Amino acid sequence: MNNRLKVLRAEKSWSQADLAERLEVSRQSVNAIETGKYDPSLPLAFRIADVFGMAIEEIFLRD
Amino acid sequence: MAGRQRTRPGVWVGLFLASAGVIAALKVTDAINPTTAFLWFALSMLLLVPMIRSMKAMGPGCASNSAAAIRYTKRIGISSALYVLGLGIAITIDRKMDLTTGLGFAIAMLPVLPIFGMIWAMGRYLVEEQDEYLRHRASMASLAGLGLLLGVASFWGFLETFDIVPHAQGWWAVPIWAIGMGLSQGWMSYRDRTGASE
Repeated sequence: MNNRLKVLRAEKSWSQADLAERLEVSRQSVNAIETGKYDPSLPLAFRIADVFGMAIEEIFLRD
Repeated sequence: MAGRQRTRPGVWVGLFLASAGVIAALKVTDAINPTTAFLWFALSMLLLVPMIRSMKAMGPGCASNSAAAIRYTKRIGISSALYVLGLGIAITIDRKMDLTTGLGFAIAMLPVLPIFGMIWAMGRYLVEEQDEYLRHRASMASLAGLGLLLGVASFWGFLETFDIVPHAQGWWAVPIWAIGMGLSQGWMSYRDRTGASE
């Protein structure tokens, strides 16, 4: 699954650590999701969407 | 005033593994007797104390600094110390006494109960870790350890059947599982670092 996390994070000038703190996860988790190594669970995907004020499907895209 | 930079946990782990390797080499080459090797190894386990302190001192968001990871490391550290102690006592009693079945069963429990503690600590970590990616990594590492154990045990078993290798004791199971987990976690950490993007 592709995602726009890196772009959205850059638009807000957040580091991975900044986003990780907002999501209450490790920086490694943010990195793994951004680089497509790990697809988040639905609850975490909702938290990510809430942080950016967007819908899940605007952040996570079908392959 | 700039804060003093704390030594990273990996350095303490490396020092512990290096000291364990040197002690094992000295023991295997008969440069030291088993009692000295046991005492030195028990002392080297003290290196795990600054490792835990170093983990706690790392900033938030670090994988090794989650509350569950710190509890896991403490539990494994205590279990490992009790294992070394239990193993030392069991070996000493075995050498000095003719064991009855009952006593043999009892002293076999001395190193085995801490091993159960290590397995329990791993299970608790999977239950307590709130970060789903770290939990996923731990699950994958555990499966990798299990895969290595099943592969090595099956291969060794057939080699033993054909009288190619000597008999291996069953207690090798947990160390092989742990080696598989450690290698897998190391590989995943390396993969995460090389793929990192800021």
